[in-house]
Amino acid sequence: MKKIIGKVTPEEKQEIQSLFERRNGLNELARILTADNAELYEKLVRDMGETGTRFQNWWDRMAAKYQWESSDGGNWEINFDTCEIYLVTK
Amino acid sequence: MIKYLIIQVDDTSVSYCHYPALTGKPRLISLDDLRAGILWAMKENVTVQFVYPSYRLPDEYHRVIESIDHADIVPAGCEDTGLLDKADVIVLDGMSRIASHTFRSNAAYVLRTSKEDLLTGRDAVAYLLDRVMRLNVVITDVETFTDDDTERYGKLLGSLAEAVAEQYAAGRNVQFNLLTDRLMLDRMNNCNAGWETIALAPDGRFYPCPAFYGDADKGYNIGDLHLGPDIKNPQLYRLDHAPICRRCDAWQCRRCTWLNCRLTLEVNTPGHQQCIMTHVERNASRRLLPLFPGTEIPEIGYLDPFDIAKN
Amino acid sequence: MEIKETDNGWQEGMAKSITFIVTKDCQLACKYCYLVGKNEKERMSWETAKAAIDYILDREHDEMFDTESVIFDFIGGEPFLEIELIDRICDYLKVQMFSRNHHWFNSYRFSFSTNGINYDSEPVQRFIGKNIGHLSIGITIDGTRRKHDLNRVWKHSNGEAERGSYDDVVRNIPLWLNQFPGSSTKVTISSADIPYICESVLHLYSLGIHEVNINCVFENVWNEGDDIAFEQQLMQLADTIIDGDLYRDYACSFFSEHIGKPLDPVNDNQNWCGAGRMLSIDSAGNFYPCTRFAQYSLRSKKAWMIGNIHDGIDKNRLRPFLTLDRLTQSPRECIDCEVASGCAWCQGENYDAADTPTIYQRATAICKMHKARVRANNYYWNKLYRKLELEGNREEYEKNKPARKPETC
Repeated sequence: MKKIIGKVTPEEKQEIQSLFERRNGLNELARILTADNAELYEKLVRDMGETGTRFQNWWDRMAAKYQWESSDGGNWEINFDTCEIYLVTK
Repeated sequence: MIKYLIIQVDDTSVSYCHYPALTGKPRLISLDDLRAGILWAMKENVTVQFVYPSYRLPDEYHRVIESIDHADIVPAGCEDTGLLDKADVIVLDGMSRIASHTFRSNAAYVLRTSKEDLLTGRDAVAYLLDRVMRLNVVITDVETFTDDDTERYGKLLGSLAEAVAEQYAAGRNVQFNLLTDRLMLDRMNNCNAGWETIALAPDGRFYPCPAFYGDADKGYNIGDLHLGPDIKNPQLYRLDHAPICRRCDAWQCRRCTWLNCRLTLEVNTPGHQQCIMTHVERNASRRLLPLFPGTEIPEIGYLDPFDIAKN
Repeated sequence: MEIKETDNGWQEGMAKSITFIVTKDCQLACKYCYLVGKNEKERMSWETAKAAIDYILDREHDEMFDTESVIFDFIGGEPFLEIELIDRICDYLKVQMFSRNHHWFNSYRFSFSTNGINYDSEPVQRFIGKNIGHLSIGITIDGTRRKHDLNRVWKHSNGEAERGSYDDVVRNIPLWLNQFPGSSTKVTISSADIPYICESVLHLYSLGIHEVNINCVFENVWNEGDDIAFEQQLMQLADTIIDGDLYRDYACSFFSEHIGKPLDPVNDNQNWCGAGRMLSIDSAGNFYPCTRFAQYSLRSKKAWMIGNIHDGIDKNRLRPFLTLDRLTQSPRECIDCEVASGCAWCQGENYDAADTPTIYQRATAICKMHKARVRANNYYWNKLYRKLELEGNREEYEKNKPARKPETC
């Protein structure tokens, strides 16, 4: 089941969309980079950690700001077109 | 509506504008085509200008030419001194021509020069301004003008504005296309090739202007004497169909369609270089505003109107 | 709590489109294909591709390349014939964007328009697996077997029987939809296709494609009576969609509420086509304002090159594109047209069909087809809204109607 539980501002949406894109990019880059290229590999590992943290911080910050509803086993989703936040439960 | 017909009487006729003259062997327009061109001009009620080569034309050609009221555009080095004496426009092809020429105060002069020669030729231009009633300076390598040249060009024109002011102070109201034209205009006054002016070339065909005859192989001819001019997409030669130019106020700009084609591939779109140069001229003209009471040229924050016209 | 993002449509209008013409070869010889100069020889080399990428990424802050996002588009011929090269290009792009801290690393896509024939091949599938989060792949299937095979036929030698490609494509549709749920397809209509429009759209729906983007070719191929036949097909399609309640889950770009109105000369004067804001690169390393301006796309004009990987971009040659507006290129009949909105054009076809070498002469071959579309479109919306009102469902429909992506060429 999926229901709308809130909405973020376009600026907030842009922030998470950019992090979402970066995380995907890093994950795909990780598939082709090897430890042979030590400098770039380290940069990648570092970036993945930082991006993951910033990503989670965004959700924590927004959840605190908007007091979104949550449920055990459910997850939140954002629609990048509408800035709407959904609670998805099984 | 076509108002002017430029008849280029020979392949080697002088260039009076940005385009290079053809450098091959002389080839005169046939007498039949010359007569037909004049007849067409009479019937269409257009004003004719003849553009001559350096050598003396056969007398028969002069007799035909004299059958219509016209203007003559003649190279400064023309062997036919009689023609030179009565020419309406005399073309100095390069700075080197200045020293050897005997100037006529009642003729208009065109100085064709490279950018670099002009930027370093302030005194030569000032010398001309002291001797002629009208001077058109035409740069023959506009495409080489870079943004780095902007300041140098502005300084040159600023200095020449002082020379013009001195002429005015001495009671000589000299006309100088780069500085005084903008002050005397209240709207665009461009070359208007293909719109108000067309050319008849030695091959008996019409072109938007003589420059396009040099690119005849690129399909720029617009008809022949047999069927008359047939200009495809004529609207593109008009100001209202030129998105950059129609909102521009560098009214003295030639808006050279041949240069447009060379630089942007479109007859109605000027290249960056042409726009920058004409705006430097426009802005330098402001220095002479005190000589033209009641004239206004507002200060603007751009040199290339493309920056405000682009989508 | 697990957190998921959904991403429908992507950076519409905010992305720079950079097209690599990786090959001019294709397995097919589609009869309506505008690419008149296809051949097997002109394949992009790695050196050319790399030089182009370096040129572009070196200019991150140039106004040509400072868009927030980028779409790297791969086109042919059939792009997947060069999957090894494409894979190398994409890997290089990813590494370079990341190592340079280029802002596009946060916002890029690899886009493909394919005939779908070797979609399930191991190299293509491996590539998809590596880049799944950044891919947009469209498979062209024209509709029913008879409609598809009418035009989309295999290359064949003289004397060899003509063979359609329907079976070779349709077998890959389930895999494609599984990998890219919600994908749309692009259908092209020329004169001979008109009788099959309705059945073809419905067939595509039945294959699981919920959005069918369909357009008439811009070229002057239309015969007497085509507009009437076209209108009848669209009305038949409208009836089937509405009577069968298909409008709830499916979309067809022929029907849009926003077409068929007069256009304001001031506020609606923008150019429709994106040529000039895009960049295409061919196998020789030449740059074009759009692929349609490369020589293999042009019937009767010279290629409109705007530079190359060695000398860079000649911005003067982009000026006509970036100042082009609707009115300046349109004849009076288009400016005064009462049903102008939604009537599109292709800048490349305008150039190719023009009387002089200009992009400022709008081709109007599509005029009567657009007008027919508008009539059928009006019928569609009048019928649909009446039905919804009678059923008391209009409000609900308005809330939940399927979102449509803007039409592109």
